[in-house]
Amino acid sequence: MKALPTGTVAKALSAQVPEPTSAPHAPAPSNAGVPEPTSTPRAPAPSHTGTLSLPEDASTHGHRIDALLAWSHRFDAVLITVALGWLVLAVWRFRKAKQAASDGGTRRSRAWVLGLALGAFVVVDGTLLLGSEGYLRDVLWNFSVPSEDPRTVRIEINAHQWSWEARYAGEDGRFNTSDDVVTWNDLRVPVGVPVWVQLVSTDVVHGFSLPHFRVKLDAIPGRVNQTWFQAAREGAWEAACYQHCGTSHYRMRGVLTAMSPESYATWLREAGKQSAQAWDAEDVAAHWGWEWKAP
Amino acid sequence: MNLFASDHKAVARRYLWGGLGFLLLGGLLALIIRWQWAYPGQPVPGLAWAMPESHGAMTPPAYTAVFTMHGLIMIFFAVTPLLFGALGHFVLPLSIGARGLAFPRLSVLGFWLYALGGALVLGSFAVRLGPASAGWTSYPPLSTSVFTPSLGQTLVTVAVLCAAASSFLYGLNFVVTVVRCRAPGMTWGRLTLTVWGLFFASVLNVLFVPVLAAATALLLMDRLLGTQFFIAGAAAVGGGGDPVVYQHLFWLFGHPEVYILILPAWGMVGDFVAFFSRKPAHGYRLTAGAMGVVTALSGLVYAHHLFTSGMSPVLGRTFMVLTLLISLPAEVMYLNWLMTLWRGSVRLTSPMLAALGTMVVFGLGGITGLSLGAVATDVPLHGTLWVVGHFHLTMGAASFLAVFAGLYFWFPKMFGRALHEGLAKAHVVSSAVLFLGVFGGQLAAGYAGQLRRLYDPYQYTYLKHLLPLNQWTSACAFLLGAAQVLFIVNLVWTLSRGRVVGANPWKVGTLEWTCTPSPPPAWNYDPVPVVLRGPHALSQPEVLERLGRDWMGQAESFPEESETEPGQAEGVGGMSTSGGAA
Repeated sequence: MKALPTGTVAKALSAQVPEPTSAPHAPAPSNAGVPEPTSTPRAPAPSHTGTLSLPEDASTHGHRIDALLAWSHRFDAVLITVALGWLVLAVWRFRKAKQAASDGGTRRSRAWVLGLALGAFVVVDGTLLLGSEGYLRDVLWNFSVPSEDPRTVRIEINAHQWSWEARYAGEDGRFNTSDDVVTWNDLRVPVGVPVWVQLVSTDVVHGFSLPHFRVKLDAIPGRVNQTWFQAAREGAWEAACYQHCGTSHYRMRGVLTAMSPESYATWLREAGKQSAQAWDAEDVAAHWGWEWKAP
Repeated sequence: MNLFASDHKAVARRYLWGGLGFLLLGGLLALIIRWQWAYPGQPVPGLAWAMPESHGAMTPPAYTAVFTMHGLIMIFFAVTPLLFGALGHFVLPLSIGARGLAFPRLSVLGFWLYALGGALVLGSFAVRLGPASAGWTSYPPLSTSVFTPSLGQTLVTVAVLCAAASSFLYGLNFVVTVVRCRAPGMTWGRLTLTVWGLFFASVLNVLFVPVLAAATALLLMDRLLGTQFFIAGAAAVGGGGDPVVYQHLFWLFGHPEVYILILPAWGMVGDFVAFFSRKPAHGYRLTAGAMGVVTALSGLVYAHHLFTSGMSPVLGRTFMVLTLLISLPAEVMYLNWLMTLWRGSVRLTSPMLAALGTMVVFGLGGITGLSLGAVATDVPLHGTLWVVGHFHLTMGAASFLAVFAGLYFWFPKMFGRALHEGLAKAHVVSSAVLFLGVFGGQLAAGYAGQLRRLYDPYQYTYLKHLLPLNQWTSACAFLLGAAQVLFIVNLVWTLSRGRVVGANPWKVGTLEWTCTPSPPPAWNYDPVPVVLRGPHALSQPEVLERLGRDWMGQAESFPEESETEPGQAEGVGGMSTSGGAA
């Protein structure tokens, strides 16, 4: 919705609050060779949006969804007013009326019903359909944006009970090599650059969502799903699981940090070096990455 | 009382008690969920006996079982049995002038399958590790024995199969009964809208409940026999299967199911606004046709539940268009209800208040579903309480209020005694208002991003500020629970000493009120009536003039001459429609 003033973002970034209990699972022994992220992830800024609004939008394209939703709410308000107003008016005006009409409608009144319904349908559903189609065409299902942008950051995410394991290709740009950077519940992305996520699950169906980026995608065992988004500004926001995935579903929480491209590059380089040092070619279980799937 | 009696009215009474019992249980489970969101981790009052280790506080595993069982019980053991098992069994044969259902013994078998399922559900609470906990949708692999090994999950899966078999049987029974057993003269154009709703919903039961049964049976084989239809990933041995196939099968049933739960409600609303506006339903054929179009579309929209599953864009776009399309017939039907009220003589009886309440909550629920039908706007709302609020307003609140509209309306016919009107009105009005509070609060929380099924939503920083809203919503829910005492008191009091009423206390013309006493004898009609006109022959000038009342029986003829077609009184049955069935 509205952009946070830059001061708030700066404050959020400098807060450096230690991560509160976001990793119910310590890295499993099989992953022991992979280094911890170089710095502790930042806690997200407290939300300043009101109760009756969407989570703030930190993405480049989310405003299009928000605008469409705002339109749908205007329609909702009109429809509710008409429907309930009509109902209340009819009951108030015709309560215990001396006479009731004896017909089940005239040709004309039925035509009105059909016309009104059709009019409301064309305007409301038409707006939603066209607005949605535009977003799908330009953003959600348009993978030519991330695939054609040389700066695109690719992330492989492996969901499991109950954490998000993310894999970055490192400087060689290839997955499952010694300089891969692997993090838990800690996503890092540069600002202003397409981020292309491919998503799998090891165990049950999970739902990967970034509420502040209008991103939602199922993580399903046996298939690779993909989506993309772009962070509009620096800050830290939460990643949440939205599909019931077992008892600790509610704690399947991660933090996404949007950084300046420079500090992102620095972080990736440093983390990649540490990964390379700790690389264990024998540890097959740790090499769960896959060859990036072209669209 | 003969528990194996095959009279449809006796079967209906058994379903009524069973359904009301499960409605109470499902409602109490809902209140526990609401408690957890208002006071996370604090002991639930009165639950210490069940969970002594935590002094009655919800634990994460207990909580997952509570929300899972709330959904399963409400859908399969409370609302469907009340709409079809109780009201459907009772009303449908009477309303079409039949002496019973086409297959009376099948209806007994259906009830006992439902009872067996209900017993398994209740039993599952007593086994180690508790009842089912994989969500009412039971998505694999979570619902397979690898991730939910408890016996309770298996028992409840079998219980769902039992409920499905029972639904299929009465669906088939109702369809055949309406097609084959109508009284002479009961043309399709003279059926009550309630029968139309029950008929269409029964068609959906016959078509789509077997899909649920298939998916559930395959799931059960994955749990018990070591098959891997729906197992993939680390739990799979060898090739494994595909969990997404289950999701498609489940929602191919699951979406028609919401229409199964609302079509009979729509039908009752259509009839009651006509009866209690004392005038024929506006656009009877359009309304019945609109319900038919919804029925036809209902199996073609289901994949909007899977917009975020990574489905192909072709499928996503197709289902978006089909989903939005279904709002057109719904609008036609709704406008017809409003037009029926207009220029009527509105009587705010308890069934009418419940029907108007149904219109309000259903209207709000339908409108809030629009944004879920388009892929882009579905993304931020998918899996949030917005969805929960939306579908609870339609298939929760609207179906609930319609059940009570029907119960308050037909109770005198079922038991020969009328429920207390004052208590009944207080019950439906307070329930409708509090439903708006509860599900309105959920819509707001969902819009702000609160996800479903979170044991402690406030683990997320961005949801912390929703605690006061959730507490307010929960307060509405507790009041809503308390308001049900009005019904229980009314029920107990009426059954023992309620007002004894005659054959036709509501002064309407349908067969069950005009051709048989309250309660009807075992064979319903003696002789079977010959139907002369539609169900809403109200306020017809000729009837007013010659009989001095504003209603006329569907099988009633004027005293002097035995002329059968007095043009005007033919009313909705014969002469309406020019708009053509949509």
